[in-house]
Amino acid sequence: MGDNERFSDRPTSLPPPFPGQNRASLPVSLHSTKLVVKPLPTLPVEIIATILDYVPVSTLMRCARASRKLKEMAYDDSRWVNKLVAMGVWNEGEARRRFEDALKKKRLAQAKLAEEERRRRAASIGASVETRKSIGMGDTLFDVNEHEAKTMANGSAGAVAKLAQDVDLMNLSTQAEAQAPVVEKPKLTGVDTSDPTLTVLLDVRSARGFARQEYGRIYAALWPYYIDLVSARSHADPVVFRRYRNPEDQAVMLRQLTLFSESDSSLGWGERLSRLNSMSSIFENAVLREFEGGYEESDYDGRMKRYANVLILLNGGQGAIDLFVAKHYLMFERERLGNPMDCFSNLHSADLSMEPARQFFTLLSEAVNDQSSIIDRIFPPDLDVMIPFLERIGEDVIGEYISPLLEESHDRDIESYLKCITDIYVSVVQFSKSIRPAKGSEKNFTAEMTKIVIRIFEPHYDTYLQEELDHFRRLCEEEVESWEKKITDEYTATESFYLSNVNRQADKIDFLASFKKVILMPVNAIPLPPIKPINLAFPLPINPFIRPKPAIAAPPSISDAPTDNPYQITPDVTDTGTNGSETPVTPVPDAPATPQPQTAPTSELAAKAAILNTRMEGIRTLFSIELALDLVHKAKAALERAAYFVRFKRQIGEEAKEQCEQIFICLINILGQRHVKSGFDKAVTHLSQYNPRELSTAEEDEQVIVKPLVQFMELVNVGDLIQQMLDVFYEQELVAQKLTDKNDFLNPAIKEKKRFEQMLDERVAAGLNTGIDVLIKEVDYVFAKTQKPTDYNPGIVGDQNLPIDFGPSEAARKVVSLVASHTKLLVGSTDKNVLDVFNQEVGMRLWSSICKHLKIQRISIDGAIVLISDINHYTQFIVKLRNSGLTQYYNALRELVQIYLIDPQHAKQMAAVIADGTRFKGIFTVEEVYEFVTRRSDWYQIKKDVEKAMYGFGCSVM
Amino acid sequence: MSQITLLSSDNVEMKVDKEVAERSILIKNMLEDVGETPDQAIPIPNVNEGVLRKVIEWCEHHRNDPPPPADEDSDSRKKSTDIEEWDQKFMQVDQEMLFEIILAANYLDIKPLLDVGCKTVANMIKGKSPEEIRKTFNIQNDFTPEEEDQIRRENEWAEDR
Repeated sequence: MGDNERFSDRPTSLPPPFPGQNRASLPVSLHSTKLVVKPLPTLPVEIIATILDYVPVSTLMRCARASRKLKEMAYDDSRWVNKLVAMGVWNEGEARRRFEDALKKKRLAQAKLAEEERRRRAASIGASVETRKSIGMGDTLFDVNEHEAKTMANGSAGAVAKLAQDVDLMNLSTQAEAQAPVVEKPKLTGVDTSDPTLTVLLDVRSARGFARQEYGRIYAALWPYYIDLVSARSHADPVVFRRYRNPEDQAVMLRQLTLFSESDSSLGWGERLSRLNSMSSIFENAVLREFEGGYEESDYDGRMKRYANVLILLNGGQGAIDLFVAKHYLMFERERLGNPMDCFSNLHSADLSMEPARQFFTLLSEAVNDQSSIIDRIFPPDLDVMIPFLERIGEDVIGEYISPLLEESHDRDIESYLKCITDIYVSVVQFSKSIRPAKGSEKNFTAEMTKIVIRIFEPHYDTYLQEELDHFRRLCEEEVESWEKKITDEYTATESFYLSNVNRQADKIDFLASFKKVILMPVNAIPLPPIKPINLAFPLPINPFIRPKPAIAAPPSISDAPTDNPYQITPDVTDTGTNGSETPVTPVPDAPATPQPQTAPTSELAAKAAILNTRMEGIRTLFSIELALDLVHKAKAALERAAYFVRFKRQIGEEAKEQCEQIFICLINILGQRHVKSGFDKAVTHLSQYNPRELSTAEEDEQVIVKPLVQFMELVNVGDLIQQMLDVFYEQELVAQKLTDKNDFLNPAIKEKKRFEQMLDERVAAGLNTGIDVLIKEVDYVFAKTQKPTDYNPGIVGDQNLPIDFGPSEAARKVVSLVASHTKLLVGSTDKNVLDVFNQEVGMRLWSSICKHLKIQRISIDGAIVLISDINHYTQFIVKLRNSGLTQYYNALRELVQIYLIDPQHAKQMAAVIADGTRFKGIFTVEEVYEFVTRRSDWYQIKKDVEKAMYGFGCSVM
Repeated sequence: MSQITLLSSDNVEMKVDKEVAERSILIKNMLEDVGETPDQAIPIPNVNEGVLRKVIEWCEHHRNDPPPPADEDSDSRKKSTDIEEWDQKFMQVDQEMLFEIILAANYLDIKPLLDVGCKTVANMIKGKSPEEIRKTFNIQNDFTPEEEDQIRRENEWAEDR
């Protein structure tokens, strides 16, 4: 506020202002007596600066002539730079570069002239002062670098400044020339560039300290037209339109004036601007009318091209683009390309033919490609018309076409809706690929096109993904339910089951191999009987999205089936029959028992599944591999459709991926929780209720079988198969297609899969546990039923003529074959560890069963031979299980039974054997051995001797 | 509605609504500092009764105006809207009073009033000669005739033709 003093010439006679009577009294009294002429109040400098912001340029320049202070304010470079910035012609980078160049040159010049200056100290002051001032920046340059120069006389400093300015100006002109062609030439087609007024805004140089001069040049050129235009009464009046006759020039002038108006900030600019705008919109409308006239006459190369150019010169041509797009015949004649309802063959059925839709897209593609070349003819190549055009096409034509189509098919049938949307998606993508970009749209055309495609599907994909999941879930549940119903209906009718205890491993591997093969093919190529025949005729003429594989792979797989497979598979079926011949099998009532019509296997996989299914007849009531396969196929179909949407990047793609995982989870849940788990549970309850005494089927058979256990073993096999199937499915469909991240352990799909496996393991373990119980129960039963008292004590009846058979007894043989047949069943179906644990448990329980059994027998010395061969028989079987722990137990047992061979006279040795605790490696304690010895048929005769030998006296320990 | 009393430089008390007085940022801040409505009159030492009345008249009329936008140096064009009709009439006073109002508005920190005042002055000097401008602002010519002529020639482009 120091400057304030210059303006506020408050008489010094006035007392300093402070509140109170003293202050007021003097001036008031003076005033009242009119003794002093009151001076005008004066305004502080910053208020004057504000006032200058509001005055028009002409007045501002007059103010500059009023005083030095006002001139400084008016000339302030930033004021003018702001105006240039407002017009968008100021280039900060250029200004900085110039400034630095100037600085360099000034330094050189300064060094050169340093000597001269000193001599010229007395040179004139006059004009040079303001020159120095006028380049406001010059001041700061000097006080940084040439501090001494500042201290010199005004004249010499001014001289330097003047010189610097000249250098600078020279620089300006050269640069401006170098720049001009770059900006100017490509832009103003059809404009008389020789007229400097028309290019005044293109020639602006950005230089600090020269903003006022630059603005002056523009002002001189444009202000008269501007002020004339805004005060004109009608559009015919303005000089601009009279001076420039051809529309290109007029457009350029209007554009320049519009830009120029941005720098007009004096009072009243708002009104001037709106007048200018209304004038230029009158002009634009006139030009647009011309353009439209050309459009109606299809005068692409003449009027349309010319007026498009005029509009571009005026304001970038947006109006022309809008008009071109909005008035385009394609927007109005959509019906000519096809009616969405044509896809429905009749009024109410769900049958859907995609042929009309495909035709629609082909026609559209042709039409659009025609337009592409027309756009090239009308618009210059630096204008992107194609994308806005395609946006409208996508919205108005394609969107309007597919929305009713999808809605209608959605209302009619979900299944066909799901097919329809993916099919349309493929068509649209294909359409987007078939479009040839116009010249102005080549840059990131594909990216823009993808965006348009996404926009087309945006309103639909949400519903679609939800429907896909719901539909899949519903379908699966229906399948499982109907299957369950069927089974309960049937359950009471027949309960025969098929048995073959041949090793299933080979079959399973075979089955899985073909499953893997099939899963790699797109589902559409596989004819699946349960899917309703919807004639979608999927393979499109050129389908970029279906991998080329199916076209080659699918036909052989179909034709393979009838030729190769019967030979490959039928023998397999009979094979089981022959296998079964050595072990009598209850004949399977094949055809009547399977209510599902045995459709001729159309593919290798289906055939194998059918065969496997007949073999799994025994567990038909629990769960079905065919059903599992069916569900997996449905899941695959769903996934494949949803996967189209994964190709969208970002959000939609992510959601689609999530939905794919959801489908997989749903599959696992239904297959695992509902189907497999309940099957297992049923089997386990069934197993635990087993009571060997109630069933007498095995009465006559040599082969003893625990039916529910066999059934359960089959179940384990199939469960394992299903799990492997799911695993293959997961790997092939989700991981290989990059629908899920295998390594993300938090991923719900992976978690669900793990849970399924865990569930399976748990069921298997629980089942095996019960299974062992049942098996041992059966063993006990066999012992009780078949072990005759004479087996080990042939002499008891007194019939000496009985032929002594030195083989294992019938009971032993039965028990071993019983256990062996069951342990064999598990091989290859479960984990090796599970198998080992199972075998060990079975061995141990068998062992204790044998021990228990022995303790209730009477054994004579003759019978001991039979007993030893029995035990040998058991041991042989156990050795085959390759479990060293078990073998030890059985060996100990073998040692033990030799006790029965000892002649009654050798009581002492017997006692030694009993007392020798280490003899049986601690498996039998002394007391136990003693207990076994008491089972000798002659025990009461030798008891005294033995005990005497053991304890050294005659009385009993007990 | 609470009222406060203002005391002009010539010791005249004036009662105004607090809301009206608070158009002046100076008074507003002062009242905020005090915390409650003061009993005593607030002295406005630089403004005499006539001018203060005029300023209060303006504040009364604009009591419900929205507060001016905070970003002051955004666009110079945004500020320079035309003067509204009531303000134009209000400003039809002699130059002395006009300047006094501007100074009072500046002192009391009433930005919209200051702007109206400046715009009025801008309209006043529009198209005037340098000499008239000097007279209006009450400033001395410190140019030689040659210097003045030099500036005129430099800026001939700006003259209305």
